[in-house]
Amino acid sequence: MAAAIPELYPPKLVLSPKNLSRRSHAINLSSCSSYFSSAKPEFQLLRREYFSAGEFHVLHKLRRYSLKVCCRATGAGVQPKGAPPSPAEIESAIRAGKDRLLKVPSSNIRNFCIIAHIDHGKSTLADKLLQMTGTVETREMKEQFLDNMDLERERGITIKLQAARMRYVHNNEPYCLNLIDTPGHVDFSYEVSRSLAACEGALLVVDASQGVEAQTLANVYLALENNLEIIPVLNKIDLPGAEPERVCREIEEVVGLDCSDAIYCSAKEGLGITEILSAIVQKVPPPPDAAERPLRALIFDSYYDAYRGVIVYFRLIDGCIKRGDRILFMASGKDYYADEVGFLSPNQLQVDQLNAGEVGYLSASIRSVADARVGDTITHYSRKAEESLPGYKEVTPMVFCGLFPVDADQFHELRDALEKLQLNDSALKFEPETSSAMGFGFRCGFLGLLHMEIVQERLEREYNLSLITTAPSVVYRVTCTSGDIVDCSNPSLLPEAGNRRLIEEPYVKIEMLTPKDYIGALMELAQDRRGEFKEIKFITEIRASLLYELPLAEMVGDFFDQLKSRSKGYASMEYSFIGYRESDLIKLDIQINGEPVEPLSTIVHKDKAYAVGRALTQKLKELIPRQMFKVPIQACIGAKVIASEALSAIRKDVLAKCYGGDITRKKKLLRKQAEGKKRMKAIGKVDVPQEAFMAVLKLEKEVL
Amino acid sequence: MLLKSAYAPLLSSAQRLSLSTVTNSLTHQQCPQTVRQNVPVLLELPQLPPASAYVHLPFCRKRCHYCDFPIIALGSSSNHEHDPRISSYVDTLCREIRATKLPSSSFPPLETVFLGGGTPSLVPPLLVSSVLDALSAKFGLCGDAEISMEMDPGTFNAAAMKELMSLGVNRVSLGVQSFQAELLRSCGRAHGVDEIFEAVEIVKTCGVENWSVDLISSLPHQSPAMWEESLQLTVAAGPTHVSVYDLQVEQDTKFGVLYTPGEFPLPSENQSADFYKMASTMLGNAGYEHYEISSYCKSGYRCKHNSTYWKNKSFYAFGLGSASHIGGVRFSRPRRLKDYDNYVQDLENGAADTRSDGIVENKDLAMDVTMLSLRTSDGLDLRSFREAFGDSILVSILEVYRPYLDSGLVICLDEQRRNVAADEVVVSSSFNEKLAYLRLSDPDGFLLSNELIALAFGVISP
Repeated sequence: MAAAIPELYPPKLVLSPKNLSRRSHAINLSSCSSYFSSAKPEFQLLRREYFSAGEFHVLHKLRRYSLKVCCRATGAGVQPKGAPPSPAEIESAIRAGKDRLLKVPSSNIRNFCIIAHIDHGKSTLADKLLQMTGTVETREMKEQFLDNMDLERERGITIKLQAARMRYVHNNEPYCLNLIDTPGHVDFSYEVSRSLAACEGALLVVDASQGVEAQTLANVYLALENNLEIIPVLNKIDLPGAEPERVCREIEEVVGLDCSDAIYCSAKEGLGITEILSAIVQKVPPPPDAAERPLRALIFDSYYDAYRGVIVYFRLIDGCIKRGDRILFMASGKDYYADEVGFLSPNQLQVDQLNAGEVGYLSASIRSVADARVGDTITHYSRKAEESLPGYKEVTPMVFCGLFPVDADQFHELRDALEKLQLNDSALKFEPETSSAMGFGFRCGFLGLLHMEIVQERLEREYNLSLITTAPSVVYRVTCTSGDIVDCSNPSLLPEAGNRRLIEEPYVKIEMLTPKDYIGALMELAQDRRGEFKEIKFITEIRASLLYELPLAEMVGDFFDQLKSRSKGYASMEYSFIGYRESDLIKLDIQINGEPVEPLSTIVHKDKAYAVGRALTQKLKELIPRQMFKVPIQACIGAKVIASEALSAIRKDVLAKCYGGDITRKKKLLRKQAEGKKRMKAIGKVDVPQEAFMAVLKLEKEVL
Repeated sequence: MLLKSAYAPLLSSAQRLSLSTVTNSLTHQQCPQTVRQNVPVLLELPQLPPASAYVHLPFCRKRCHYCDFPIIALGSSSNHEHDPRISSYVDTLCREIRATKLPSSSFPPLETVFLGGGTPSLVPPLLVSSVLDALSAKFGLCGDAEISMEMDPGTFNAAAMKELMSLGVNRVSLGVQSFQAELLRSCGRAHGVDEIFEAVEIVKTCGVENWSVDLISSLPHQSPAMWEESLQLTVAAGPTHVSVYDLQVEQDTKFGVLYTPGEFPLPSENQSADFYKMASTMLGNAGYEHYEISSYCKSGYRCKHNSTYWKNKSFYAFGLGSASHIGGVRFSRPRRLKDYDNYVQDLENGAADTRSDGIVENKDLAMDVTMLSLRTSDGLDLRSFREAFGDSILVSILEVYRPYLDSGLVICLDEQRRNVAADEVVVSSSFNEKLAYLRLSDPDGFLLSNELIALAFGVISP
């Protein structure tokens, strides 16, 4: 079975190509072979789920009363004590936590992360762990402590990974626990894979009231791929609807993890937290003792600090690093003196030395992020390691859109903002683009739709830009008659029909987990989106897994919204890139009054061209104000018109009224009319309001 | 006794001089003749002292359903001869005239007076006389001044007409609006069709030489046949002037509440455009010149008073809600009677500020000139425009009109008013010296005048 895995991996998208079997799998994989094929860290669409975060807080108030009743759960699994730890216990734990600067032997270090489906309580659990270990003072505590971006808190999601070192005393022996918080959304799985590479263990958090979701699987497979010890944790057992035993069975059946030791907890109520901490100490293996070897540290994140230059987060694999060491970045070949070495707890705390197995940060007055790229290996300048650590593959953006400033003067600001964002979001790609309708802007590449949304929102919010975004598109691969292969994400740059031999489009394998009632609705959805049915499996009596292969272009629209609405919110999905396939694709052009309008061109499947063309022409007819002449609005494939609407000419616009010489009001009206024309873009003789472009782009998002 | 002849303003000019401080920034009035000649005519025209006056007489029996003018509804009692509301208003009006500051030390006597409303024919001739007296005493009145009065059918008889004529009223604008009883009713007019014919008869038998029929097109439920009939009957009545107003549905009117333009029972946009064209064709065939968007006349009978508006000349205005244009400044009086009374009071105390509309910029002036002159068949005088506002703006306007020159909505004319072909209009981005006028075509250009004028506005004020 293991041999089959590499074949299924598209070479471009292996985000964390860490070699398998550092340790042999402790887990029985036999029952999950079919899932393994989708166990890639790629993209998943989960856009709406974070909105439910707020609702939980309301629910929790109600839950408190049913606590006692809920804790009766029996059966396998580690039960929490009936009540949260006593104040005395907490206090002693907190006291121990204060000493986290103290060194522990490397055999007492535990590096772990938490993986979960969105909203299964990952950040809440992280909060509790920090609190219980005294890492964060109670008075400093706030929800989602590790998510310090405004956007993360608002949406209740984690975007950037964070690290926190905790000290925990188990059986009178102090342990150093390094928690690396990870984003749950698979758009950000490159962040996940980076943190997984820095760990030896993972807490798999599953909502006891919901069960295994598509993303649970994706993240578990990512963790297995990194040879992590996985500790199943059933969260939210205080919920009236919690069914920990059923969910345990589900994990065993679907994921193939042994759940006899699964921990039942409620992060919200503080139940089972001690058990989790103990399990981490007992089950997660310590990092191998490699302090004597030449320094090797893997950079898993970096950001730019205006005062100290680039700050690098790393995991020490071999050797140790001291303040003042002269270090070398093996890939870039640049060397620096480490001015400051420390760890994150979660604030940066300086130390003199970090040893193998530890997670920390350093600053060395590095001026350019390019000198210390994520994935690079740090070694000593004087005692170089022979081989660098396997790094991360550059992530390839899959979804593209054009970003244009509403106010053309903001172009430079937009560029600066994108450059700054790119500093700690290496997955963001952009290049300048000019559009006759929108002026100057950028074509940007994203890992997925949520990533796109987050970037747009950060640009608007943190950099005060107002943006117009075009419909998201994917990268098509065009084989020209000359034999050249061109990657093309911008419809206006598509080679002429005569010069193309074929167009290929990216395909994804999509797995939808759904209660059986919605199977029909979801199959219909997938079929509509040119999906090719692969497999249906009942993972439990009432829940099924649907496997389809479909074009990514069909996913970037409202697929996820549709999935959610057709399943009344119960289905979840996960998708992974499986390669390029030839498709019958054509370029659909829009002509207004005989003038082609480049920004409205789209690449669509031939079978959908008519429907899309009709929808676009109709929408434009609604939005373009009538002109003093008849304006045909056409959708064309090459020279062939496939849909046509006509805007009739204005017949009359005259103020033929007696107004006794009082022209001020009339003049005001005419000035307003003139103002209105200014906000429009001239397409040939026709004035098209900006809103028409925006509305059509929105429509494209819906129709395509 | 009525003052048809002009008062020589000099009679009391010494006295007036002491009263009137120099109220505006005009200097060329005091400048030697040679300097004045250098001022472009379009810049100078609005600054010259007015020779026209608009007088608002706001009384109506009731408010028509389309009307948003400042009016005072008197109710339907037939005799308004001694209505104290009228006499007290006219009194205030005359006080306003008397209290008005003169624009400069030397000023011409009035050449046109327009008594508009409302329904001025509801005002007893005696009171009309006092208004004209006040005007004449203040500004002087040319012997051949055009004195127009709006009169509604059913509000005057031959005796009143004769009396008004003896006061100097020599032009009548008859508010017919429509020749169909049901349409008159549905737009709330206070008269019927019979009164129209009576009124026409009175005007004709009294020997009013210069008179106009005012019509409204695109009324609710109006059919092409009805409109054709109205136009036919108008032509048959033989006025020297016809005004055809296209119904504007204004917000705070009964029509505004009931109807949406272009929707039943109002005619569709196409039908409404056809009505406009029908008027242009039928009146044209009957020998009327379409000299302004909504005005037609027999040769030599253009309304002189309205022409001052379209030439962007200055004019006085008196009465409720009326708008004056003096020294380049437009000022609207309060629309509510109480506010208007206070305004006149302030004016008498020297406290009223009639200059609050601010300084007029050249750009605004260029817009005014464009929007007003393009309403007329004379069109925009390109040479004066160029002299006043420069070459580049004119070339830009011609550029923006290029497609419409091609499609015939806009026409360029040479000195002899011969058409200039569209491709000769702008050659290598410079002004073609052959061009003299630019006008909107009749009826297609006129019909789209708002769009076309807005285009020019976009060029003037980018």
